[in-house]
Amino acid sequence: MTTVMDRPAASAGHTASRKPLIERLNIVTAIVLGAVSSVVVWQLALKLLPQNADTAFFFNREDKIMLLALIAWFVGFMTGIGALIGPFRWLMGKDLNHDENMFLAGKEQGVKRYFRYTTDHKVVGIQYLVITIIIFLVGGILAMLIRTNLGHAQGGWIQPQTYNAIVGWHGIIMIVATIIMVTGPFGNFIMPIMIGARDMAFPRLNALSFWLIVAAVPPVFISFFTGGITTGWSAYNPLASQSALGMNGYIAFICIFAISTMVAGANITTTVVKMRAKGMTWNRTPIFIYGVVASVALALPAFPVFFLSQIMSGLDRAFATSFYNVAGGGSGWLYENLFWIMGHPEVYVILIPSVAALMEMAPVFTRRPLFSYNLAIMGIAGISGLSVLVWAHHMYISGWAPLLNAPFMLTTELISIPTGMLFLVLIGTLWRGRLWMTMPLMSIFALLWNFMIGGITGIYLSDVPADAFLHGSMYVTAHFHYTLMGAGLTGALASLVYWFPKMTGRMFDKTLSWVSFWLVQIGFNVAFMGMFMVGLAGQPRRVESYAEIFNKGNLVTTIGAYTIMAGMLVLLHGVISSWRSGVKAPMNPWQAKTLEWTVANPVPLENFETLPVITSDPYGYGKAQS
Amino acid sequence: MTNLQTPQTTKWWKKSDVKKTFLLWLILTPIIGYVGTTVQLRSIGAPASEVMASVKTLMGVFTWAASPVAALVAALALTSLSGKRHYGDNPPADADHQISNSPRVASTWVVVSTLLCLFALITGLVVLQKDNESILDATAMNVNVTGQQWVWNFDYVESNGVRSADLYLPVDKPVVFHVTSVDVKHSFWIVQMGIKMDANPGYVTETAVTPNKIGVFDIRCAELCGLLHAYMQTKVHVLSQADYDAWLTAKSTIEGAA
Repeated sequence: MTTVMDRPAASAGHTASRKPLIERLNIVTAIVLGAVSSVVVWQLALKLLPQNADTAFFFNREDKIMLLALIAWFVGFMTGIGALIGPFRWLMGKDLNHDENMFLAGKEQGVKRYFRYTTDHKVVGIQYLVITIIIFLVGGILAMLIRTNLGHAQGGWIQPQTYNAIVGWHGIIMIVATIIMVTGPFGNFIMPIMIGARDMAFPRLNALSFWLIVAAVPPVFISFFTGGITTGWSAYNPLASQSALGMNGYIAFICIFAISTMVAGANITTTVVKMRAKGMTWNRTPIFIYGVVASVALALPAFPVFFLSQIMSGLDRAFATSFYNVAGGGSGWLYENLFWIMGHPEVYVILIPSVAALMEMAPVFTRRPLFSYNLAIMGIAGISGLSVLVWAHHMYISGWAPLLNAPFMLTTELISIPTGMLFLVLIGTLWRGRLWMTMPLMSIFALLWNFMIGGITGIYLSDVPADAFLHGSMYVTAHFHYTLMGAGLTGALASLVYWFPKMTGRMFDKTLSWVSFWLVQIGFNVAFMGMFMVGLAGQPRRVESYAEIFNKGNLVTTIGAYTIMAGMLVLLHGVISSWRSGVKAPMNPWQAKTLEWTVANPVPLENFETLPVITSDPYGYGKAQS
Repeated sequence: MTNLQTPQTTKWWKKSDVKKTFLLWLILTPIIGYVGTTVQLRSIGAPASEVMASVKTLMGVFTWAASPVAALVAALALTSLSGKRHYGDNPPADADHQISNSPRVASTWVVVSTLLCLFALITGLVVLQKDNESILDATAMNVNVTGQQWVWNFDYVESNGVRSADLYLPVDKPVVFHVTSVDVKHSFWIVQMGIKMDANPGYVTETAVTPNKIGVFDIRCAELCGLLHAYMQTKVHVLSQADYDAWLTAKSTIEGAA
């Protein structure tokens, strides 16, 4: 596909009176077609599906109707955005010509290209960045609702049903936001330039993976108004099969998102394997690339399982199959296994690219080489390998297989060894560096602090007897916020500030980045330290009211959470104001040595005029010593 | 920091930043260990069983074992941060230090973390073994625990037909819980006794404990189970054997009369 783009375009201006179909499709046609088809299918299903088609479950008919309508939305939306044009034309034997491919790449379309099925990886990167910010905003508002409700014990002003729905909604969309927060914006925008490529291996799949996420968002919003995801983000069965119609939105959301992740995974992996610049051997490939590849490569085995688990969940609801229904020969443990076979690799899908991004920044802001590049790769590989073997540590006390507790405790605790390697790489790079005091640099320190706490509490949780006490308590909630937010999000925010000049052509406002950094980090530690305390004192997770002894800890957490919100709002303000009117960025503001800083601002459509040739790794800082 | 440039003659442990790190490490290790254990163990509160006591010991031991590592990372980070710093919009000159690898440091780090990992594993396995054995105790009394949205019910196997919504147990007597659910998944958690077992519909799972303190303790549901999950809690009353027998007699008479 990419070879088509090697030639300069002859003409991209289409002045014909009747625009071809490919140029008329955009987000508006997509939403209209999606909405119309879902309403049509909904009404048809209401008319045609027999009343009392089956008597096994009350929800069956409504579940079928809702799932059909959501599938119709999905198909309509993807058709409307133009995802089918390429395959259809290829099927007809009239593959897209050069001009059409250039149009798809977004050539000379200004802002409009961001609202189309655009294949340029830089457009996709910006699209991902914006949707990540939007999802974080919604998820953050939900978090504030949760914390406000928990501000004091009996003062729950949110009804239990609504509260449970908010918790589930917050959980699942934050998980999705954190999964895409690094590999989405930076993996798409920066990664191909960093390896010296002109685009991704499969540009149309790249657009597909982004628009699938957009298609997945409405179902999860609709679910909130049809009873909500009242099961937490894990949606355990049989609770999920008992829940209101909103669960169908969750199922549709996960299935579409899983396809998006698989598509992105295949695309990014292929790009890195096949399209690195001449001379960029595996030993000269920047560490961030390893992080991105490890992340999406882990998603490749994980997300098909997630997809499958939700298909089975949907079948249980709509067709009274009994994959998870004990009375019909199924088992809730089956769901738990499938869910966590996805769920544990998934946390490393989130964490690894964030840590790798900070490892990429460490040499830049300490002006010395990355310490032990090989150990960094070993650490990433070790975590990735082990992470698929640890899932049942979420099930120690489920009663599923007590004899497997000891083996899973072993694999889980082994992860501390490769994780330790990542710590050594970061700390070794800081050691005797010439520290350039910027927000990304301080983020490395913040990550070390947060991830240390998240890691050590993880060891308690990996220990079966301690987990028998801690499991299902607020302690677990605090622990995974320390890893996913304290470590993961910290790396993503640093990436935002670090790559902002390349992505937008403007510097991120320095003062605002500092203010938000300290507000977020201090607020974060206050909030989740409080949560550790109440967890240890015995407060279960996902409760909308609690005993009075937990008052103080919860109040502390709520105060911390508001501080985080303030910090995030400052950051949001920083993003908007710097993007609109920030200082114009030079080509290489950080004087870094990776390839993305060798291209002009704004990055030309095909990135490089002549493809670079690599002769060394990108960490050649430091004064030569003989 | 000038001594960094001095040639190989200066031994690495004589460099000022190494000394500083070592000193910081010596200071921080006990502080982190002490604060970490005290805060955590105080939050947990007093144990009401052997199992909970060993959980507290475990967490204390793990915290103390982790504190030198945490202190080392902190010491290295603080020393680095107190070294050469540069403010401004333009990058500083390159660092003097150009070492991009140190096999000695890397291998030491990996070996030490492997040992710590093995230590955590073995300590955990020892305690786990003890917990598992208690389920096999033939002298134990048996209680069937049934979760349903959103209450707990307790059936006393040895006292046919006695059922209660609060749990009553005699002190110092081992008890095995047979846990199940009639609707969705719940999780049976006696907070101060440190035991927890999921209640799965269609399956019976076991856990065991020996309460060793008279008093009233908390039972909470630890798995989101729907609308009133937060309110699915009850109490366990641990009584002396005499009080327990009296309660049992009274209870069976009432139920017999009814």
